[in-house]
Amino acid sequence: MRNPLSAITYFQRNPGKTVPMVFVIVLSVFLIASIATMVNSIDLTIRTIYAYTRHFTYAIPQRVSLRVPDEQIKVIRDDPRVDRVMEGSIFFTNIKTVMGRFPFVVLGVETENREYLIKRIGTSLIEGRMPAEGMPEAVVSAPIAENKKLKVGDMIAGPTDEGGISGSPIPVRCVGILKGPVWIAFTTKSFADATFITTPKTTIFTTKNPDDLFAVNDDMMPTGRKGEGKLAPSQVQLLSYQNLVEELRDSLSSMYLIMTVVNFTVIFVISLMSGMLSNIYFTQRISEFAVLAAIGYQRSALFLRVFAETMLLTSLGWLVGALVTFVFLNYFKTAVFQPRGLFIDPGDPFGYKFTIPIPFTITAFAVATIAFRLKRLDPVTIIERR
Amino acid sequence: MTTRTKPLTLPEHDGDVGKLGCRNASLRYHDGARETYALRDVSVELAPGRFYGIMGPSGSGKSSLLYVLSGLKQPTSGSAYFGDFLYTRANEQQVTDLRRKRFGFVFQQPFLLPYLTALENIVVAAPRQDAAARDKAIGLLAHLGMEGLENKLPSQLSGGEKQRVSVVRAMMNDPEVIFADEPTASLDHGNGHRVIDALAQWRGRGMIVVVTHDPEMLEDADEILLLRDGSLAEVQERPGAGERSAEDAARPLETGILSRLAP
Repeated sequence: MRNPLSAITYFQRNPGKTVPMVFVIVLSVFLIASIATMVNSIDLTIRTIYAYTRHFTYAIPQRVSLRVPDEQIKVIRDDPRVDRVMEGSIFFTNIKTVMGRFPFVVLGVETENREYLIKRIGTSLIEGRMPAEGMPEAVVSAPIAENKKLKVGDMIAGPTDEGGISGSPIPVRCVGILKGPVWIAFTTKSFADATFITTPKTTIFTTKNPDDLFAVNDDMMPTGRKGEGKLAPSQVQLLSYQNLVEELRDSLSSMYLIMTVVNFTVIFVISLMSGMLSNIYFTQRISEFAVLAAIGYQRSALFLRVFAETMLLTSLGWLVGALVTFVFLNYFKTAVFQPRGLFIDPGDPFGYKFTIPIPFTITAFAVATIAFRLKRLDPVTIIERR
Repeated sequence: MTTRTKPLTLPEHDGDVGKLGCRNASLRYHDGARETYALRDVSVELAPGRFYGIMGPSGSGKSSLLYVLSGLKQPTSGSAYFGDFLYTRANEQQVTDLRRKRFGFVFQQPFLLPYLTALENIVVAAPRQDAAARDKAIGLLAHLGMEGLENKLPSQLSGGEKQRVSVVRAMMNDPEVIFADEPTASLDHGNGHRVIDALAQWRGRGMIVVVTHDPEMLEDADEILLLRDGSLAEVQERPGAGERSAEDAARPLETGILSRLAP
């Protein structure tokens, strides 16, 4: 037979007390995990949009220059791990993100280089054709087409595009769709060179072994210590995956700080409230603990019982809360994010990690205050009072 | 029925297992600046296998004596013991362990856990909450005529049934002493008798110490301790009380005891 004083028995037989507590914890886990996951979807969005920089890195000139200086290009070429260095011309098209419109680069490279990069990325044409030389045409990968609700023949950039750097003086049509999941868009270098004459040219490089790309990036311009690399930060800016992620996280750091403060404030308030609720329930059960103490249950056993009951309650609340959050975010992803080509990972551990302190702080707060009362418990006083 | 007064001699603490007692035990409270004695210099020794009653007017220290003898309260001076176990030399865990393993308790209110069935409430007091404890609890319930109540919650039991369940709970660890503090005070006459009858059945297996206002509930007691103003006023030994005839048992005790306690 199950021990009548087991935490499970108490939980099952007192739904009027246990269910509201679990509900409060479920709500708090849901609230915090959902907000944190949604905020972190910005990071996911950027990492997804810039995922192509896992396959190649591009450098742009600093300030007034329109090209990366030759000596800087030579530094890149001289690295024995570098496979190919090419020049690209670019323009931007707007994509939708959780932060609003976001400029996405459409890369114009020579045909041979385009085929090389497409192969390196591991994509291929699934619909339409490649842009014709010198024509206002582009191919985009499937996620971009989904994000912009594009089909072959639609305009991807034009004179009426909103946003500071996006758009094109002449309408650019989508003539083909590339297989996902990497976000990438290509036009012809001849078209970009002729149309976007004031836009600085980029220098793109790949490594012989794709796994060396990040190491080469670090040697060229280490993240956070740009002056210590082979490239001169005064002349060139390296748009490597690491630098992009670092810059993104830098720009989001204040938001993360605010979110962390808000989350921990919520956790503290919820812990305080739940601890008070636990104390009220304990007061209602004081005669139960008094009689158990009177008939010979040690205070340590009574304390462990309270601990087990609280831990079961908070753990269950956390589990249900995490499950509810996962289900909700999945629905949210399907119903809201995906149709808009936006990103959210319902299983993102980042959001759930924020909620891990909840069961522990509630348990710690409740158990600490109850332990204090158990220590001072005089069973005779309670028994006589009744 | 005959009663005789036993002289108040100081019991010698000879270390016999099973003897329960206190020596010069006092229990003092501070009520603001005033010092109040709930017990004053009380010495008693109770022998195993007997039914003891503790009587006296309100505030005479009946319950305090029970709390001191059971280890629920430490005397502020003097000592209390059970066998060779001296409470004042033991720590709280040891005294608690003594209560758990060797004593049973019945209080004025049954104090059943409201979300546990009668059976589960009883099993709580068993040394181990296993199938054997369950079977034993069922057997004890049946023995006391409470078959069929096993799975009822306290809210589904009458006051008398609840108190009898608490009596069974007190018997679950095969205690050497059952302490009952006013176990019939909140029950009607019939239920009060049923509870006392249930308790009295423990005589022979262990000692019973019952605090009560109602002398009628102590008809079967072997010895009655009379307290007044925190002091032991008198000990009444009642030889053969356990074997008294129904006629004897029906005779009220008021004339014998209460008349002496009256102010």
